[in-house]
Amino acid sequence: MKNPYLPIPVKVGKTFIESEDRMLKTLDLLFLNKKDEENFKFIPGQFCEISIWGKGEAPFGIASSPTERGFLRFTVNRAGVITTALHYLEDGDEVGIRGPLGNHYPVDILKGKNVVIISGGFAFTTLRALIKYLLAFREDFKDITIIYGARTPGMLLYKEELKEWERREDLKVYITVDEGNEAWQGLVGFVPRIVEKMAPSPKDAYAIICGPPIMIKFTLPKLINLGFPSEKIYTSLEMKMKCGIGMCGRCNIGKFYVCKDGPVFSLAQLESLPQEY
Amino acid sequence: MQDVQRKIREEAKNLLAAGRVDLIIGFEEASLPLRASPVFIHNEDDLDMLVWNSFCENNLATYLTKVVGRKVAVVAKGCDSRSIVALIVEGQIKREEIIVIGIPCRGMVDRRKIEKEVEGEILEAGEKNGEVLVKGDDFEGVFKKEDYLYPSCRTCKYRNPVISDILIGEKIKENTEVDEYAEVKEYEKKSIDERREYFGREMGKCIRCYACRQACPMCYCEECFVDSSHPKWIEKGLDSSDLTIWHIMRAYHQAGRCVDCGSCERACPMEINLRFLTKKINKEVKDYFNFETGLDIKVAPALATFSPDDRQDFIDSGEEPAGESQGKTKL
Amino acid sequence: MKKISKKGMNEFIQSLMADYIILAPASTDGIFSFKPVSNFEQIDLSYQNSKKPPKEVFFPQSETMFNYKNGKVESTEKVKQKKILLGIRPCDARANILLDKVFAGPDHKDVYYTNKRENTIIIGLGCSKSLSTCFCTSFGGGPFSKEGLDILLMDIGDKYLAQVITDKGREVLNHKFREATREEVRLAEKIKSEAEKRISSRVEIEGIKEKLDRMFEDLFWNKLSQECIGCGTCSYLCPTCHCFDIADEAVNSEGKRVRNWDSCMFPLFTLHTSGHNPRPTGKERMRQRVMHKFNYFVENYKEPACVGCGRCIINCPVNMDIRKVLKEILEV
Repeated sequence: MKNPYLPIPVKVGKTFIESEDRMLKTLDLLFLNKKDEENFKFIPGQFCEISIWGKGEAPFGIASSPTERGFLRFTVNRAGVITTALHYLEDGDEVGIRGPLGNHYPVDILKGKNVVIISGGFAFTTLRALIKYLLAFREDFKDITIIYGARTPGMLLYKEELKEWERREDLKVYITVDEGNEAWQGLVGFVPRIVEKMAPSPKDAYAIICGPPIMIKFTLPKLINLGFPSEKIYTSLEMKMKCGIGMCGRCNIGKFYVCKDGPVFSLAQLESLPQEY
Repeated sequence: MQDVQRKIREEAKNLLAAGRVDLIIGFEEASLPLRASPVFIHNEDDLDMLVWNSFCENNLATYLTKVVGRKVAVVAKGCDSRSIVALIVEGQIKREEIIVIGIPCRGMVDRRKIEKEVEGEILEAGEKNGEVLVKGDDFEGVFKKEDYLYPSCRTCKYRNPVISDILIGEKIKENTEVDEYAEVKEYEKKSIDERREYFGREMGKCIRCYACRQACPMCYCEECFVDSSHPKWIEKGLDSSDLTIWHIMRAYHQAGRCVDCGSCERACPMEINLRFLTKKINKEVKDYFNFETGLDIKVAPALATFSPDDRQDFIDSGEEPAGESQGKTKL
Repeated sequence: MKKISKKGMNEFIQSLMADYIILAPASTDGIFSFKPVSNFEQIDLSYQNSKKPPKEVFFPQSETMFNYKNGKVESTEKVKQKKILLGIRPCDARANILLDKVFAGPDHKDVYYTNKRENTIIIGLGCSKSLSTCFCTSFGGGPFSKEGLDILLMDIGDKYLAQVITDKGREVLNHKFREATREEVRLAEKIKSEAEKRISSRVEIEGIKEKLDRMFEDLFWNKLSQECIGCGTCSYLCPTCHCFDIADEAVNSEGKRVRNWDSCMFPLFTLHTSGHNPRPTGKERMRQRVMHKFNYFVENYKEPACVGCGRCIINCPVNMDIRKVLKEILEV
């Protein structure tokens, strides 16, 4: 029987500091065994538990799409013991991963629909995975709108890819910052404001929203006002996790385990849960 | 006892009615024999729940750091009142925010000791005239209360509350003759190997439930050192080195702060002898600084003060004593 | 129905020792736990119940999951020797069935737990003399319940009656077990029904789950959590509690991954690295404990996560009583 606690060996590939405060860093992890890579089938929205030998394990959303072969990308916010250790890793260092864990964005339901992706700050990571996936199968989806904001231009993730996406004709991309600078030519304003301004249509559309609690708090009413029903709004929850497989109890909310029944939930589902997250 | 109980209810009623407090922390009847249960009372209708008996073993001062900012009255035995003084002296509660209902105490009954004396489960218990009466399915027992007190009660020297706004019951003559460190001295006679064996055996029973820490009024740290991950002082398992450090450090953190109320021992589900460490530390503090915790609201804790006259003979300067006989260290 | 004399029990245990480690109740300073024994005399079957629940045979309080060195991982999941868990009470055996739902569910199998479960034979001892704090019958169990057992022993004075429940149990019996007489079987029935009548503590659980569905915001939780001092005694001594923590114990990059029991009653349990805590005070944590056991678990597995063993009641330092809590919930 497969032991769900044993990490798969991987090694660090490219690393890249995303943010001007140097607290957000992207790492690519490469499988050491071809077999493991072949068996690792995932869908955007899922996460992995990354093990740093000697330090421990922590959950991270996968920032790359399964259509990007050869690596798994993660963007890590430096906050505690594991994330700091991850920041100090270099090309070639070996770590472990367990996964893919959790549920995923409802890519099947999104087929043939308009997709509105709204995000703020660091929570954008798993949405990068979703966007890359949608683009790989572009004809399967109708209009795709991306609204993404950060505190300052320097804090935006995946800056080069954002520029690429802005240039595409088949995407509506609105990048905003809370506070601009001289070089910044784009939108300035909090994400909820931009959502209100751009007013994406709820017709035949689903909204996927990931961001800090305060952004979600103010954006959800805008979406509801625009006419998005709560069953068609999805989000990804962040919770303290340990086992990642629904046994240790840590991420238990109501009858759900965020690691097993989530982290992706519809707003309708969240509303039925105790507000303990 | 009944009289004290009646007066507690009366005083509590007056306090609530006059609006002097909005919360009374006392004891109510437990759902098990030989126990009393801490209770929070907010309104006059519940006052008849308050009881007083020889099973009121918890130190209610432990709740005071959790209800800061509210006007609270708390029922306090001698030891509990000393904890209250210690908490005030450490700046954790304000004197004017609490009303102490002090009760001179002749000791609490060691229920585990009585349970060991009978064959079978005790289903009912009561007390009368200094005797504890217990009843089981097919047995009855009568025990002289003073033969079955908790160890910390047997050597208690401060049975009368040292601080109180309301004192209920007659003051009791203090037991000045008892050597409260007799058990410590017995332990000190053991060899290193015997001590290691005893220590290992007791601490090996620990299940890291932290009932001792939570029951203790002086353990109010927002982050206990065992929960720190950065730096991580000890692991969270049952490794003997982790258990050793946990208990030794907890005892050390009690130096000059522990009033020997015994709550830690009474709370421990594994019945570990927790006081043997803290009592030893209390003895050291008494010997070195002539200090006992919680007696005077104006005196700072021993380990929080420095005086040039402090004893220093325990400090080893590392210097070679010049021309001195062996075994003496001189500064 | 089989029977075996007490002398026969000793020979039975001796015969098993070659192939099994036998865990049976033994006392250290008056506190019972399941320890390896080598003969019947070491077993103190006058015991009521162990202090720590026997779930620790399958789910130890502190367990190394794997060791690692230079990136190479060595798991400890393999069971080195089969075990016999002798003398477990029916409530605790039932609790193991509830734990199976968590650790041996359809999506993932906790191999550390399941390997131990598969390699342990469970011989229970029925309770002819329950405690006043036992309320197993309110939760679908009973002093002679067979759930979770391979063999159920019944003490009838000079001998034991043994009810073989599973094939696993049947395999381990030996010739010392004879057929019980009709009279002995009748005596067993009598003992069983008297024992069930003896359970005086009854808790109404009908409607608890539905009531709790509507009680999340109720002030009931503020009141309930006041006297609780926030230790982990109830969780650690509960046979159905299953929360745990995972941590690495290592020097540089060589070490081990360990799992330790944890409790939702501790503030650290849900604390995020950012400092945000979804359950910041005792109120939320007490609510979580009660809701998880009597509502969320029921939602997921159709049964409450309680077997009425009474350990939490006996050991709580401030006499919180779950029977009282359940009664008050229905009265809210």
